[in-house]
Amino acid sequence: MSNLEDDLKAALRREEPPADLANRVLARLNGLPEPTWRERLSVLVRPPRLQWVALCMIVSLLVPFGAVQYRNRQGERAKVQLLLAVHLAGNRLHQAQKRVLESSRMDTRI
Amino acid sequence: MKIPWVLAICFLFSTAAYGQALDLKDLDKLADKAKDVTDITLDGSLLKFAAKFLSNDDPDQAKVKKLVAELKGIYVKTYEFESDGEYTEADLAPIRSQLRSPGWSRIVGVHSKKEGDNAEIFLKTGGTDPGGLAILCVNPKELVVVNIIGKIDLDELSALGGNLGVPKLDLDKSKPSKPSEKKEN
Repeated sequence: MSNLEDDLKAALRREEPPADLANRVLARLNGLPEPTWRERLSVLVRPPRLQWVALCMIVSLLVPFGAVQYRNRQGERAKVQLLLAVHLAGNRLHQAQKRVLESSRMDTRI
Repeated sequence: MKIPWVLAICFLFSTAAYGQALDLKDLDKLADKAKDVTDITLDGSLLKFAAKFLSNDDPDQAKVKKLVAELKGIYVKTYEFESDGEYTEADLAPIRSQLRSPGWSRIVGVHSKKEGDNAEIFLKTGGTDPGGLAILCVNPKELVVVNIIGKIDLDELSALGGNLGVPKLDLDKSKPSKPSEKKEN
């Protein structure tokens, strides 16, 4: 037990940094090139990877949903056109048949 | 050398398929004069697509679905005008000329001198042609052209027309249908 304590004390004991450490760090920082405006801007607009994953998931859900909605809307529009076309055609045919029938009835009476 | 031949054959087939329907483009110029225009163009693929959206639970829609099952196209153009004389017989000449071509035969022609109504029904039959129907209703203030491509049951179509407020008639179906020409005075 005492050995462990001694080992910990030895490992965690404070050591003074070299005397020129601060100067060396400052010198290295001053030696780094200044980031360009593009690099600064790209940092601002770069989203974290998690956001990209979430965005991809939302898009992958929205695109098929939107496509189905668009297809349904087109189909409903085509259906209305079809019903109108059939009704118009049937109505005109019906009217012509009715008039032929009325004329033949008149002929029969005469 | 082969590519032009392939293109030429493709062009011939495409024009042959298109040629089954009446060319109604000549009527487009009347759209500017008309107060109300209905222009419906349902070719084969669009017709099938539209039919998929018809409900089997609705009796009327189910009838329409059955009716259009063998159709290749439906084309309807209606023009309503404010006053008489907005269009002339010359505007209809290109369509009448097509309806005089082989295969087409007029089965009904109804003329009303008093009201100026003129309704004609044409049928196309014969050969490998899918057949078809053309309805031409000419009124001083209204022009209606219907062209249906494919096999169609006229009685069923007429019955569906009765749903638009026109009472259904008890037409005598026992009599064989034959070409008729009636004039009303």
